[in-house]
Order: sequence, then structure tokens, then C-alpha cells
Amino acid sequence: MLMPLDMLRAGEHGEVAEVSGDPAWVHRLAELGLREGSRLCVVQPGTPCLLQVANGRLCLRGSECSQILVRPVCGT
Amino acid sequence: MTAKPFIVALVGNPNAGKSTLFNALSGLRQHVGNYPGVTVELKKGSTTIGGRPVELIDLPGTYSLAARSPDEMVAVDLLLGRCPEEPRPDVILAIVDASNLERHLYLTTQLMELGTPVVLAVNMVDVAKKQGIAVDVEKLSQSAGLPVVAIQANTGAGLDKLKAALAEAAGQKSPTLAVLPPVIHTEADALHQTYNGDLPPFLARRLLLDVGGYAEKWLTEKHGPSLKATLDSARQRLIDAGHPIPAAEAKARYGWIRQVAATAVTKPSVRAVTATDKLDKVLTHKVWGTLIFLAVMFFVFQAIFVAADVPMGWIDDATGWVAGGVESAMSAGPLRSLLADGVVKGVGGVIKFLPQILFLFGFIAVLEDCGYMARAAFLMDKVMSRCGLNGKSFIPLLSSVACAIPGIMATRVIENRRDRFATILVAPLMSCSARLPVYSLLIAAFLTKDRPFWLPGLMLFAMYLIGFVVAPLVALLLKRTLLRGDTPVFVMELPQYKRPSLRLIVRRMIEAGWAFVRRAGTIILASMVLIWALLYFPHTDAAGQKYEDRIAEVSEQAEKAAVEEEKEKLEQQANEIRGEWKRNSLLGQAGLAMEPAFRPLGWDWQIGVAVLASFPAREVIVGTLSILYDEGDADDEKQERLQNKIASRWADDPVRSKYGVPVALSVMVFFALCCQCASTLAVIRRETRSWWWPAFTFVYMTALAYVAALVVFQVGRVIVDALG
Repeated sequence: MLMPLDMLRAGEHGEVAEVSGDPAWVHRLAELGLREGSRLCVVQPGTPCLLQVANGRLCLRGSECSQILVRPVCGT
Repeated sequence: MTAKPFIVALVGNPNAGKSTLFNALSGLRQHVGNYPGVTVELKKGSTTIGGRPVELIDLPGTYSLAARSPDEMVAVDLLLGRCPEEPRPDVILAIVDASNLERHLYLTTQLMELGTPVVLAVNMVDVAKKQGIAVDVEKLSQSAGLPVVAIQANTGAGLDKLKAALAEAAGQKSPTLAVLPPVIHTEADALHQTYNGDLPPFLARRLLLDVGGYAEKWLTEKHGPSLKATLDSARQRLIDAGHPIPAAEAKARYGWIRQVAATAVTKPSVRAVTATDKLDKVLTHKVWGTLIFLAVMFFVFQAIFVAADVPMGWIDDATGWVAGGVESAMSAGPLRSLLADGVVKGVGGVIKFLPQILFLFGFIAVLEDCGYMARAAFLMDKVMSRCGLNGKSFIPLLSSVACAIPGIMATRVIENRRDRFATILVAPLMSCSARLPVYSLLIAAFLTKDRPFWLPGLMLFAMYLIGFVVAPLVALLLKRTLLRGDTPVFVMELPQYKRPSLRLIVRRMIEAGWAFVRRAGTIILASMVLIWALLYFPHTDAAGQKYEDRIAEVSEQAEKAAVEEEKEKLEQQANEIRGEWKRNSLLGQAGLAMEPAFRPLGWDWQIGVAVLASFPAREVIVGTLSILYDEGDADDEKQERLQNKIASRWADDPVRSKYGVPVALSVMVFFALCCQCASTLAVIRRETRSWWWPAFTFVYMTALAYVAALVVFQVGRVIVDALG
């Protein structure tokens, strides 16, 4: 089941399935570690939201979160 | 060993600990290099390794070499030896954070393709260890094919090893890394052949991989639409081969990194809960986080006000002592007046605020270095997005609290032109450190005596709040009118919290303090001399008699006067002559002529003159007021502090004695909103490459300031009347 990132709640984990949008932006996100296959955890949902990606924290706007599709996974 | 220096370029992600490592390696031997056409500053330092001189260049922090703006391109050009002013570095020192190694190694893989030897410094090993992450340096070095050194930049651990590794790497063969799929190399080689002369192989790859990147923009300008067609067909061929852009690059690089890290990094299966996690729970919380942010800001401003008071008193006393020395050593005349009033008191009145500047920059450095500043930007992004800006505009605006000039220069990180211009145009509204003297002078004069202890800090906070409130509103207005457009995307990294480095903070304070003193010594000194001259001439009255002679004569009579009443009367007369002189001076006449414009704001001609005089640089108002209100100082045994002088002068005046607080607020609000800074306008001209925008900024800010000051005084007057 895929869902937009902004539908995950605080503390929920997900695996990124697809990042769409402006190629330059997709590229930037990939450099920051947010790309297909990477695991993330929502620290704080909303606009902007706070994500834990690998061992770093990223802050992202809600409108952009909806361009990222994730597959919810159990928090491990 | 040879004495020829070798050049080391320091490259890393933001927050990898680059500045700390740079300071630890180069100590005090540092200077800043500027480059034409771009605003990035490259810090340079020097050191010796085994007797051999080494030049260090600190490049701006970056996540990738995929340059999107001229500023990001500077780093790439420098690393490739394409900067005419700089020779190509001999060694690249890549610094990465051990606790987030995979992400940081992304940049390292790009650095390894430049054809220059790379030494990898793995920083913050102990922090990673606490989280259960262990990095095996030996294994990492073997699998990546690079010299790798574990360091602890803040304590200096591992630096000797690092230096040795750098010396050894200089002159060695560069690593050959081919992580990208062969088809990308083939396409890039073809581009390299087509645009030979413009494009080294590395840039040919960037041209191919970065959609809308700087290489593409820059070459499109040069070669026109033919380039677009060539690029599009090359990128289409990559998609057909199963390597779509931009995913292909990330996939290839992270694939390689995963392999390398698999052997060298051991991580706990469950990510440990770190101090950062716990702190962020509170500090980025919508309610608590915002409250804490406001409390921190209030504490900072209150501390600036209270703690700087003592050293400010010393500087004040020293100024008075030097001025007194000049006065007693020289005979009365224009030169003595220029030195004592114009130079010593004028510049001294401004230098006095050095302690506050140092405190402010110290606090900003602490907040930035410990990682809190990014949280503040996170908390503020919601507000910023409401006015059409983003969190990236927050940092330039927040640095404008120190000074609008670096703030405006920092807007270069904003890729969207409209956002950048909106940020530039509102940055001067933020209360810069030069406004601090005006605020603290007037607050000390009117809001300290017999008032609750928290009032000065709260008042100062409120003055800063004006900028924080008005700037976004103006930005919103601009984005709705002159700078219409879509809201761009926004992503930002929040670094881990850490203990701030004392060395870094002290260095920032010294740099800021020195810049302030230098400014006081040049533009402010020049303005003060000019203002002194405009207030000194003409120095003869209608009858052709010199004012100085008249004052000396009356004062002499007063000295000799036997009766106390007689003496007071003569002193009063001397003060009247002084007042007449200032009214008749060139600046006084201009002020009197403009008095009708000042009256609705509650100002007398003296305040008006001081405000007019401070248009080139707003700090000048302090010195100007101290000259203007300096009547009758001669018979005071003790040097009165300027704030008392202003308070007592206003007490003698019917309007300002009753409405002292509204008048002070009106002046402060005017200064909060007005663009009284020639340097800021010059920087806006440079950054926007047009005279239109600085002219616009000046006009809208002056109009806004006038209207706001008018409203404040009129409303204040009504309140005072209502209270009795």
C-alpha cells in the first residue's frame, strides 16, 4: 500500500517508494538521502514536517511531502 | 624537504564540523578572500606540516558538487583549478560526520572523481560511538581506496595523524573512482568532445546529470538552443538504457557507499534514542518550542542590556577623559572643537556600543554553533511560508539582526529570484546592531528610572519584534504585487545538537567587533566631521562677533561673579548663546526650516537634525545628539551621561516633558523602520544589479518610518492625555 508522506503520523516509519516533481528538487532530496528505498520516520507531521532519515533530520514542507510516496513499515 | 607550500582544500557537508577543523588546523593565521561576481567568502589559513608550509582553503559547506548557482560553482571551479586567482589544490581534505557516514560520503564520491588526491577525515567518532555506531577506519580506507583518519575536531584528537596523511597524499596519484554506469561516462565523453575547451570531463558529467543546473544554464547562454537539443537526446538515451536522471546518480553513488560501509561500519539494529531526539521533542514542539524560542530571544536581549552596562560606562568615562584632555591641552578654536566634539565625542559615542555588539554576536554564534538556529528556522518556516517566503529566508533575515549587509549577501542561497529579491528588500527592516545604540540610549533615558526592572529588556525586545513583524508583512505585500510567483520547494537539514566551540565563538565576536570599530573609524568618523562642520559654521553672529568669544567672555564674568544669583544668570546667558549658535548653524537652519515636517512626530528641530544627519549611517545620531545637547556642559564638574542630558533637555520643553515617552518611542520606531545606511543601499545595488531596487527600498522604508512614527506619537499623546 502506497501513501503520500504527509499521511504518516508522528512516530510512524516508511520506506520511500517514489519521489516525483521537479528533477532538480528530486536530485537535491536524493543528495540529502531521501530517495527511492530509503527508510524514514516522521518525527513531527504537519507543515513543515520533521523527518528522521538515516541518522539525520530533515525539515520539509507539507506540499512537498505529498509528492513523496511511501510504503508504511513497522518501526524497527 | 622543499619549502614550496602545498594547497589543501577543505570540503564537507554543512554541520560536518568544517569550521572547527579549519580553526584547529590553522589557528590564528587566517584571512578571508573575496571573489568578484560572487558573494561567497573563502577563508584561508596556513600551517606547517613537518616543516613544510601548507595553505588551507575552507570552501563553503555543500551537500554535493552539483552546482545550481554561481556561488556553488565557485567551489567546483576552485577544486578544478578553473579560478584564475587560485592555483588548483594539491590535496582535498574531505570531512564527514561519523554518525551519518553514508549521507556524508555522497559528496566524497564526487570529490574522488576530480582527479586530485583525497584524504578523508571522519569527525565526531565519539558522538557516533555513544549512539552505538562504530567506524573501522582501516577497513574503510581499504574498501574506499582512500587514506582515512578518525578525528575529533573539537578536542584536536587525531589531528597529527591527519596532518601526516595530508603530507603523504600531496603529490600522490589521485583515486580513480568509476561508480557511475559506463553509459553515463560515454555520453559525458561525447559532450566533452562537442564542447571541448569549455568543459573538463568532470563538468561534462555535471552538465549531463544536473537538470537545470549551473553548467546547463551557463552553457545555454553561450551556445544557445542547440545545446538543449543535444542534452535532451543524451538524457533520453540514458532513460532508454535504464538510467533515468536524476535517480541514476544517487543510485550509483549510494550503491557504492553501501558496499563500502557494509564492511567498515557497525550500527545497532535499533537506532538509539539520542539527546538530540529528546531535545527536539521539546524544542521543535509547536507550543513549547515556540514559547522557548521567544524566551531565548528575550533572555538574549535582556542580557545584552544588563551585562554590557558596566563596560559601556568605562568607555563613556574614557571618552570624557580624552575629550577633557584635548580641551585643556588646546586653545579654543575650530580645531579644538573639531577634535573634542566631532572626533572624540562623536566616535566615542559610537564605540561605546562595542560591548553590546560583542554580546549580540556572541549569542548568535552560540545559538548557531550548538544547532539551535536551524530549529528556530524550522519553527519560523510556517510563518515565513504564509508570507510567501521560506525557512531559507529566515537565516538571512536573522543575520540581518546583526547587520543587513551580510544578511543581504546571504540571500544568494535562495535559488528563486523573486524570493531572493523579496528577502533582500525586507532585510534592512530587521533591527540591525547599528540601531542598538539608538534604542538603548532612548530606553535608558526614558524607560529606566523608577520603572520595573524588566521594562528595558522588554522594550528592546519589542523594538526588535517590530522588524520581525513588519518585514514578513512587507514581503507578503511585495510577493502579491511586484514579485508575484509560485512558492518554491523547501528542504533543510537540522544538525545534531552539540556543545558550542568557545574558540569559534570568540573568533566571531572579534570579527564582528573589528568590523564595527573599522566602520566607526571610517564612514562614521567622516559623517561626524561633516556634521560637526555643518553645526559649527557660520561661527559668527549677525553682528560679526564670534560665538566662541562671546561665550568665553560671559563665562569669565560668571567665574568672577561674587553673588551666586549673578553667576547663575550669566551661565544661563552663556547657554543661550550656545543655543543661538546651533540654531544659526547651517544644519540648524535646515532643521528649523523642516520643523513643520517633524512637529507631527513630536520632534523638535534638534531631533530632526540628528535624524537627517544619520541618513548615511544611523549610528551617527548618537554623536550628533551629544553635540546638539552639549550646551552648558562646561560648568558641570562631572561629565553627564548623554542619556541624562537628553532627559533633562526634554524636561525643559513643554511638549517633550509631557510626552517624553511617546517622543522617544516615535524616534525609536522611525529608526526601526528607516533605511539609514548608505552601505546597505550599495549592497542592494550590487546584488540586484539595478539602481531601481535600492531607490525603491529607500523610498518605501522612509515613507513607512515616517507614517509609523507619526501614528506612534499621535496615539501616545492621546494615551498620555487620557491618563491625566
